[in-house]
Amino acid sequence: MKKNGVNMIKISAKNVDVFYGKKQALFNINLDIEENQVTALIGPSGCGKSTFLRCLNRMNDVIDICKVQGEIVINDFNINDKGCDVVRLREKIGMVFQKPNPFPKTLYENISYGPSIHGMAQSKQEMDEIVEISLKKAALWEEVKDRLHEPGTGLSGGQQQRLCIARAISVQPEVILMDEPCSALDPIATAQIEELIDELKKEHTIIIVTHSMAQAARVSQRTGFFHLGELIEHGLTDKIFKNPDNTKTQDYITGRFG
Amino acid sequence: MSEAPHTVKSYEEELKNLNSNIVKMGGFCEEALVKATQAIISRNSDNAETVIKNDEKIDKFETLVEQQVVNLIALRQPMAIDLRETVTALKISSDLERIGDLAKNISKRTLLLNENLPKNLIDALVRVSSNVQKQLKSILDAYLDRSSAMAVNVWEGDEYIDDLTNLCMQEVIKYLKENEKNLDDGTHLLFVTKNIERIGDHTTNIAEQIYYLVTGEYLEGDRPKGTEPVVTGEK
Repeated sequence: MKKNGVNMIKISAKNVDVFYGKKQALFNINLDIEENQVTALIGPSGCGKSTFLRCLNRMNDVIDICKVQGEIVINDFNINDKGCDVVRLREKIGMVFQKPNPFPKTLYENISYGPSIHGMAQSKQEMDEIVEISLKKAALWEEVKDRLHEPGTGLSGGQQQRLCIARAISVQPEVILMDEPCSALDPIATAQIEELIDELKKEHTIIIVTHSMAQAARVSQRTGFFHLGELIEHGLTDKIFKNPDNTKTQDYITGRFG
Repeated sequence: MSEAPHTVKSYEEELKNLNSNIVKMGGFCEEALVKATQAIISRNSDNAETVIKNDEKIDKFETLVEQQVVNLIALRQPMAIDLRETVTALKISSDLERIGDLAKNISKRTLLLNENLPKNLIDALVRVSSNVQKQLKSILDAYLDRSSAMAVNVWEGDEYIDDLTNLCMQEVIKYLKENEKNLDDGTHLLFVTKNIERIGDHTTNIAEQIYYLVTGEYLEGDRPKGTEPVVTGEK
């Protein structure tokens, strides 16, 4: 969605600090995520990019010693507020992980699980539609339409990952978080996911953590570079990869990290 | 290159190698212009023939640089400063190749020139050439030092080259008008003058590339222009 040619801000992180016990993992992160754009988060291992991603749907809640401070505003609502309904939040903010992790159930059940617990379908027919639409959006329908009642774990790695994306979009999230979604996939499956990301951004806001600089460059419009828990630089992807402002960013993306 | 070295040493080597090929190629071009000019001053055909022969070397460098650039893009996927290094090397090498060609053309014409040309013509020509030589040297230094300031200096200096070129052209035209017998030499000299001025233009192109290489931005605005071209008709 654009207003006066400027993309609307979907998520606004303000002064976010994260601690694992006494160790501080993120330092004063301020980042606006634009709506219907793909934002890539890059940085060396342990830089905090995945930690930041997990703040956006409160996945860090499951880690006892993890403490998140600061505001993360989505749709004018600070999700770190006590009153935040985390189940509703995760309906709005889907997630796809590094390793494809379909439920040990049929393809159909993989997709229908979310919509059914959120009460999104009133009848079998409505559920069938949700399953079909989700699989079509994930560019998997043609490959699996005749075997919807076979186990999801029987698919290839690339298909499993698209199944997980279909599962994520079945509840119509506004935002999709992706944590290295292609790192376990071959180049063809990777290209299919990247094409999918391009399509999905029309209806969703996407944030992707990736170790592949080339992938960040290919799929994203905006890129943020994290280093040692700080957001060093963020901006337009083509600017970051052609002429970054910060030396650390340049050293990282050109393979000069000491 | 002032950046920290790459983690992958072979990549670092490949970029350094590309850089040093541009520097070597530039050195040959400088030498070509110097020798081509000396050939005009001293009527030394050995110098002219060396320039003609050495142009092959410059051409080979261009092919080499092109192959290195294609390899870097295909195999290393350079980013940021490395990407700019790679892309500008390709463009600079093609400007240098043209400089080599122009020097060669000057030398070919020099071999056809009369032994006794008027001193004022030679002086005017040498004045253009020695200033272009200075520009060329400065731009190669700017490349070595990664200096956008030096590149801008050279870029702005082209205006003076254009002025000197016009003065030289006027001298040649005067010479042409003096006697029909001057037609052959005069025509060659017009081309020689123009070729030297074109070398200045390619030097300016390189300045633009260096500016982009260093800053990541394009040199804005029109290139400085000297006085209008000479009007040949009598008033």
